[in-house]
Amino acid sequence: MSRSRRLQRAESVSSTSSSSTSPERDPDDDDNDSFMLQANDSASSLGVEMASDDSHDAAARQAYEERCRVSPVARLPAELLISIFARLSASSDLMSCMLVSKEWARNSVGLLWHRPAMNKWDCIQSVVRSIRKADKFFAYQDLVKRLNMSTLASQVSDGCLIGMVDCKRVERLTLTNCSKLTDISIQPLVEGNRSLLALDVTGLDQLTDRTMMTVADHCLRLQGLNVTGCKKLTDASIAQVAKSCRHVKRLKFNGCAQLTDTALMTVAAHSTHLLEIDLHALHNIESPAITALLTSCQHLREVRLAHCMRINDRAFLDIPSNPDNPTTLEALRILDLTDCSELGDKGVERIIETCPRLRNLILAKCRHITDRAVLAIAKLGKNLHYIHLGHCQRITDFSVEALAKSCNRIRYIDLACCSNLTDHSITKLAGLPKLKRIGLVKCAGITDLSIHALAMGEVRNGKRTNGPSGSVLERVHLSYCTLLTLDGIYVLLNNCPKLTHLSLTGVQAFLRDELLIFCREAPPEFNDHQRELFCVFSGSGVGRLREYLNQEKNHALNALASRGDNDSMTPSMAGEGEDVDVIDVYGGDAGDGIDGDGTGADSDGSNTPVIALDVHGDHRPGATPIMGGPPLMGAAGSSASGMLFPGSHYPPWPPLHHHHHHHDHHSSHVSQAFGGPSSSASAAHLSQSAPASTSGLHGHWGSLPPMFFNSPVAAHTGQGVVAAQHVTSMMGATMLDDVDEGDEAFGEGSEMMGD
Amino acid sequence: MSATEAEQQVKLVSSDNVEIITERKVAERSMLIKNMIEDLGAPGEEPIPIMNVSEAVLRKVLEWCSHHKNDPAPTQDDDADSRKKTTDIEDWDQKFMQVDQEMLFEIILAANYMDIKALLDVGCKTVANMIKGKSPEEIRKTFNIQNDFTPEEEEQIRRENEWAEDR
Repeated sequence: MSRSRRLQRAESVSSTSSSSTSPERDPDDDDNDSFMLQANDSASSLGVEMASDDSHDAAARQAYEERCRVSPVARLPAELLISIFARLSASSDLMSCMLVSKEWARNSVGLLWHRPAMNKWDCIQSVVRSIRKADKFFAYQDLVKRLNMSTLASQVSDGCLIGMVDCKRVERLTLTNCSKLTDISIQPLVEGNRSLLALDVTGLDQLTDRTMMTVADHCLRLQGLNVTGCKKLTDASIAQVAKSCRHVKRLKFNGCAQLTDTALMTVAAHSTHLLEIDLHALHNIESPAITALLTSCQHLREVRLAHCMRINDRAFLDIPSNPDNPTTLEALRILDLTDCSELGDKGVERIIETCPRLRNLILAKCRHITDRAVLAIAKLGKNLHYIHLGHCQRITDFSVEALAKSCNRIRYIDLACCSNLTDHSITKLAGLPKLKRIGLVKCAGITDLSIHALAMGEVRNGKRTNGPSGSVLERVHLSYCTLLTLDGIYVLLNNCPKLTHLSLTGVQAFLRDELLIFCREAPPEFNDHQRELFCVFSGSGVGRLREYLNQEKNHALNALASRGDNDSMTPSMAGEGEDVDVIDVYGGDAGDGIDGDGTGADSDGSNTPVIALDVHGDHRPGATPIMGGPPLMGAAGSSASGMLFPGSHYPPWPPLHHHHHHHDHHSSHVSQAFGGPSSSASAAHLSQSAPASTSGLHGHWGSLPPMFFNSPVAAHTGQGVVAAQHVTSMMGATMLDDVDEGDEAFGEGSEMMGD
Repeated sequence: MSATEAEQQVKLVSSDNVEIITERKVAERSMLIKNMIEDLGAPGEEPIPIMNVSEAVLRKVLEWCSHHKNDPAPTQDDDADSRKKTTDIEDWDQKFMQVDQEMLFEIILAANYMDIKALLDVGCKTVANMIKGKSPEEIRKTFNIQNDFTPEEEEQIRRENEWAEDR
């Protein structure tokens, strides 16, 4: 590279001073030359190089070359130096850079002050002191681009914020929950600021139109406004902002119930670039405002209308529709209509026609909708990822099966309180290959059959369709599914390695001390009765529950082993299908107890989908005695005997008192394996080997751990039923699941806003 | 780009007029070269001048391009990641960057000029790692930079930015 060319380049870059193109730094750069109060002083070293006449030019070149020879880093133009400094995350490192030399100081100060520390009082004081200082080294006030006071939130007063009043180039002002703040500090802060892009004044309920009118007058570049909970703002200032801030893209008016159609109509008329709007709980908003919004804001990606209770089908049916050129909101991905309880099937049908690419649709508590609406939703096909139909109690298996069939990319589905649903539709949903979260709270009709299906995903041609890595299921909400038992959950846990949340509140089979120790704390606002029923496993609790159940199973197997004859011990659980039987039959008397000692059980505790459901065909439901037999084992056995299986009708682990038949084990086993006549003895032996025999048949329960079955079933069933009734009567409709499940589900939904 | 196009040879000319022949796929890690080839058409015939990069540096840069020729194209996510200020560098790149400072900064300048984002990224991270955790005096020593502050100025900057010191 020719030296002179390089010099030219260095000069040109230095003189335009770091006009980086990198988007996250652009704020620093476009004013890099104007913020230095003492620019002449600090730029003196460059001043030499920029001399125009020839002799100076030569001298400058020489000086530059000498400098680069001594210190190669001097070759980097400002933009690259800044690019390097931008990798330093600790502000102490940037601080060190500032003290290296004047050139380094100029190129690091903008990064350091981009977002000053506002998380401690002494930081704030120090920042304010520097900004207000008369003869400071740099014009720090112009470097602040992001101002976020939300860490100290309610402690921040007007007196504190007013110290930042000279910062007129703030682009993002975040005052979330700084509830002491008023117009006194915020109005002068935004006055004269022409750079503001995003303003978040969530929870500032003293803020009035005075500040918002100033925003409308000055902050013409505003793109995002969050006035959640600002109860004093009126239609007038919101309309004014809409009229003058024409680049607005994101609006959040959550909880500003005082706002009416007047404000919204103005927004619809002017904010044509709108991408997201959240009108959560604007009770006064009526259908025409929504019609106007959806008609004129064609770029909308996200519309949240939760609890806008006056909205009805007209909001959507009145969107002008020309059959040749229908209005469609191609960009709309998220639509939240929670508790828009007037909404009916016709409205939903029109929504699907108008918004064919919806990804997230939330219709929780839209109680009028029926299968007809869900069939329309099914038309979204692979676009649909997230669907919430909680409390849409009228829907049935019919439409949910259709949904599962056509929308195979669903990742999240909530069907809480859809009490018509049965195993028929849930087993179909279980086949969704990307399903991560499923909410079935109070789907009281479902049984372990659904849970087994969820554990296994769809099995087609003997293979699971949800990929070689197994289930992607992460969160499963099953509270008040009162028919569930440990059996199903045991299989679920062992086949879903990614499971991080499992709620079983009010499911009697799990309300047992030895299981509840793995459960997380009930929320503090719960009363005693709610606490009694609370049962949610999350995070490591899921793993510990899995471990415990597997351990218990091992104990059970060991107990079995010690009771049984060595010769007849169960073969490897890791083995496959019928082969194992064969091994058992022909090699069993080697007595090396392939793993009567429980190693086999270990291997199935490792999340491999080994605990599969059955012993091919030999254990038809009802073919073996349901219960009975003495308690299996010592301590573990007696604690296990507390488990109950209300409504369980599955074939149990076989009675163990048949062990004395061990002498004819081989012959009987062989005959059983070859389809010979069944005897109680052969049944006993076979089922000891059951856990190993993992053929792919579904809906069979032979491999369930023995300890789960050794309780007197009648008594416990009775108790379970009583408990279940108790639960429903005490809890009322939605009290617990709303806290436990519903809100959480919405929280997850809003996370998705980000992408 | 088809397989045959990828294997095509292209001729680059360094600032000191040395011709270097390389695979088109390797050269096109540089967006500058990629755009030039697309503009000129007929790659392989016309030599492509790389005006600001000397032979030694160009060879080094092509060594990096060759090792990374099959890397997937950067995605939006990667861009977002680079914003996370991570300074992790993969082993091969770390070794590659073990050169004297003269060469290190030449590589960075060349990556910038030739528009090879991933290489520029590695270069900047390498320098950032040389700065991390050091005192101002240690940084000056590392890069042989002269302190042009008066003690009063130094003290002033320290005072005005004291909020930043313990973060």
